[in-house]
Amino acid sequence: MVQLRPRASRTPVSAEAMVDEGQPASEEAAEHGLLLGQPSSGAAAEPLDEDEDDDLDDEAPEELTFVSAQAEARAEERRVRETARRDKTLLKEKRKRREELFIEQKKRKLLPDDVLEKLTTTPPAGLKKSPGTFKEVTLQKKTEREKGSDSRNSKVQKVSSFGQSKSYVARRLKDQDLRDSRQQAAKAFIQNSLYGPGSQRTTVNKFLSLANKRLPVKKAAAQFLTTGWGAQKKQNAQRFKRRWMFRKKAASGKDRS
Amino acid sequence: MGEFRVHRVRFFNYVPSGIRCVAYNNHSNRLAVSRTDGTVEIYNLSANYFQEKFFPGHESRSTEALCWAKGQRLFSGGLNGEIVEYDLQALDIKYSVDAFGGPIWSLAASPSGSQLLIGCEDGSVKLFQITSDKIQFERNFDPQKSRILSLSWHPSGTHIAAGSIDYISVFDVKSGSATHKMIVDRRYMGVSKRKCVIWGVAFLSDGTVISVDSAGKVQFWDSATGTLVKSHLIANADVQSIAVSDQEDSFVVGTAEGTVFHFQLVSVASNSTEKQWVRTKPFQHHTHDVRAVAHSPTALISGGTDTHLVIRPLMEKVEVKNYDAALRKITFPHRRLISCSKKKQLLLFQFAHHLELWRLGATAAAGKNGDVLPLSKNADHLLELKTKGPENIICSSVSPCGNWMAYSTASRFFLYRLSYEHDSVSLQRVPKTPAFLRSALQILFSEDSTKLFVASSQGPLHIMQLSEGCFKHVHTFQPPSGTVEAMCLLAVSPDGHWLASSGTSAGVHVYSLKQLKPHCTVPAYNFPVTALAIAPNTNNLVIAHSDQQVFEYSIPEKQYTEWSRTIQKQGFHYLWLQRDTPITHISFHPKRPMHILLHDAYMFCIIDKALPLPNDKSLLYNPPSLTSESGVVRRRTPHAFKISKKYKPLLFMELLDERTLVAVERPLDAIIAQLPPPIKKKKFGT
Repeated sequence: MVQLRPRASRTPVSAEAMVDEGQPASEEAAEHGLLLGQPSSGAAAEPLDEDEDDDLDDEAPEELTFVSAQAEARAEERRVRETARRDKTLLKEKRKRREELFIEQKKRKLLPDDVLEKLTTTPPAGLKKSPGTFKEVTLQKKTEREKGSDSRNSKVQKVSSFGQSKSYVARRLKDQDLRDSRQQAAKAFIQNSLYGPGSQRTTVNKFLSLANKRLPVKKAAAQFLTTGWGAQKKQNAQRFKRRWMFRKKAASGKDRS
Repeated sequence: MGEFRVHRVRFFNYVPSGIRCVAYNNHSNRLAVSRTDGTVEIYNLSANYFQEKFFPGHESRSTEALCWAKGQRLFSGGLNGEIVEYDLQALDIKYSVDAFGGPIWSLAASPSGSQLLIGCEDGSVKLFQITSDKIQFERNFDPQKSRILSLSWHPSGTHIAAGSIDYISVFDVKSGSATHKMIVDRRYMGVSKRKCVIWGVAFLSDGTVISVDSAGKVQFWDSATGTLVKSHLIANADVQSIAVSDQEDSFVVGTAEGTVFHFQLVSVASNSTEKQWVRTKPFQHHTHDVRAVAHSPTALISGGTDTHLVIRPLMEKVEVKNYDAALRKITFPHRRLISCSKKKQLLLFQFAHHLELWRLGATAAAGKNGDVLPLSKNADHLLELKTKGPENIICSSVSPCGNWMAYSTASRFFLYRLSYEHDSVSLQRVPKTPAFLRSALQILFSEDSTKLFVASSQGPLHIMQLSEGCFKHVHTFQPPSGTVEAMCLLAVSPDGHWLASSGTSAGVHVYSLKQLKPHCTVPAYNFPVTALAIAPNTNNLVIAHSDQQVFEYSIPEKQYTEWSRTIQKQGFHYLWLQRDTPITHISFHPKRPMHILLHDAYMFCIIDKALPLPNDKSLLYNPPSLTSESGVVRRRTPHAFKISKKYKPLLFMELLDERTLVAVERPLDAIIAQLPPPIKKKKFGT
């Protein structure tokens, strides 16, 4: 056994002094670890490079009992658990608050409950009051979407005319959408095939100016100036000019007086 | 003649809509033309190419196909998926049937005229039976993969050819199944990523199918074997339309570059019987895409995005080589779109979906003949009134005092009251117009602005009394006889005693407003009336017809005037009769009863009834240098027709007061500048 000099800075107690503490097993383990020259497991590992820094001292490595290490580890774990729990509760609260906010906004957006009830229960009565007029009864159902939903999502219920002469027609907007979308597709096809990419089209200005370019005396293009350019700049310039003139007038007026 | 100050107005931003389809009817020699805003116009080619009827457009009706069926029935199909039949007698839409196939791209009537075939967006070809009053769905043919863009019947009615995207199918009508599917090359030589759209097909009686497509090719296919026989590359851009003559010896195609090509069946050698199709004549009368062509027995008709309708008679088919064989280009409307309020110097411009009210500018300067006077006050855009609803405006009018304005669409009539304070104008709608005033063909206010005359599209003529706040129906005249025409014109005498209406084919009817009963009828003439006016004091009715004849009829005496008989006996000058455009407006000078002022699109003329009439040998158009000649020369060469071509193209010309004229011009360049982009032309050196 190597006789190790006690290190004033580090070693808490010499091995013999710790006998009374009553942790024989840990002592041995520590000694064993030191004997073997390997750092003991996990929590009680000693930084070996600190050993090398201390050039003068050939002191014993710092002794860390298993107990203390375990206590430290447990404290660490507890701390981590605490923070996790706190975070979770914070998130939960945040989510709860957002949900409440959304419910409130939704409530604000929809018609008051009594009006909705009236609408759902009494459409025939409403129709009977105005005979012969064209009316589309649109009911705003509670959609699952959020405030992004617009009137396109509202469905029109098929309302039949109760005993009135067939002077108005109720239609499903879904069918109308299909028809319109096909018409849009057809128009897009025509536009694309005639004026889309790949068709060699030119502007009317260039077309009319072609003749001017071939004349014996070359003339300018049919529409030489683009008047729509820089509209904002021109407006700013005009405003500045007005202000400048006003200032000039005021200044000259002051000079004269 | 007198000196006048002329308000030269160029702020009428009139842009006609492009022509989309053209259909020629051989029996009645009429041409149906449909435009991109949904208007369908009927031109009478034998009445000097005059537009005799029109059906107003509708925003949702974008017509893609037009065809005539047996018995003078006109059908059209559009992108809203409906087949519409037009009632040519009542000038209304008879009915519209939804085809349930999506947007309709093509329409073809069978050679027998009793069946109608439509090609839809979803690739289905549907067959309809034409019954006496409606059409009825019969059956569907085999559905195809892509949209059917063009259809053609075999003259025997047994097969049809349908052009789609990248292929052409030949169907057997009895079974409804496709017998052949011919794949079309995307480019004449080579490959291309752009799909080839078959814009037109034609089926000849020997089984040849002619197809024109977006790669610029005209291809001949044999329908019995389903193979390509011949291919011609005629353009760098799309070839968009094809029409075959009845004898099947010539056809015409229109390209997107504006060129129209004529193909003819010519014998290979002078003595052989073998014939082949040869491209004979190119015509460049258009600047933009030629989207519709038609082939009449004697002429090639083409129309396209540049809004001109061009009728080119073929020289070899024309019997008599006179002015009838000249090229006709119809650009400007054949009816008046502008009304004028003389007292307040206002002009009302009628567009398809809105009206504009302008006040003319004023000048304080004076000058000599030919001077341009500077404006002291600019012309003022007072009002822009947009119409409610998708329908186009049929007619509009402003009262001479400037306080009333009225316009009508196909289903509604609107009357407004205008009030002026300082420089601005405010508008107030007159509510509760009576139900019988639904759609009007012509609206006219009386000279003192107390009466409103409305010629409705069903035939009757309504007279309403206007006063400060109210609006009362006074009387309705029913038309005695004859069929209603769309070019219904009205004229009222300045003293308010007589009303003339040319709405029927039975002649011009004259009604007495004091006794509220018909007075007389001017004998019918076989050409339609283009302009009508009643002179002040003398109450002579001046009528202009589409063959450039002008008649003067005295209403109190119920007979033609002496002057009118003289000119009919002598006949008009040949140059006068050879004018292209119809006379659209006639007006009179308040202090000179012998003067009649009329104008057409390219000239305006003051007829002086006191001077002798010109014979064919004298100059009709006075050269401007005549005023500088000696007095002797001037006295020797006067004649009644004083014509000036200074302001053209004229849309409207009116005498505001004794010394002022207003001329509304519309230069062609200004119209072309607002058209869609044309195909690029590559020229050497640019």
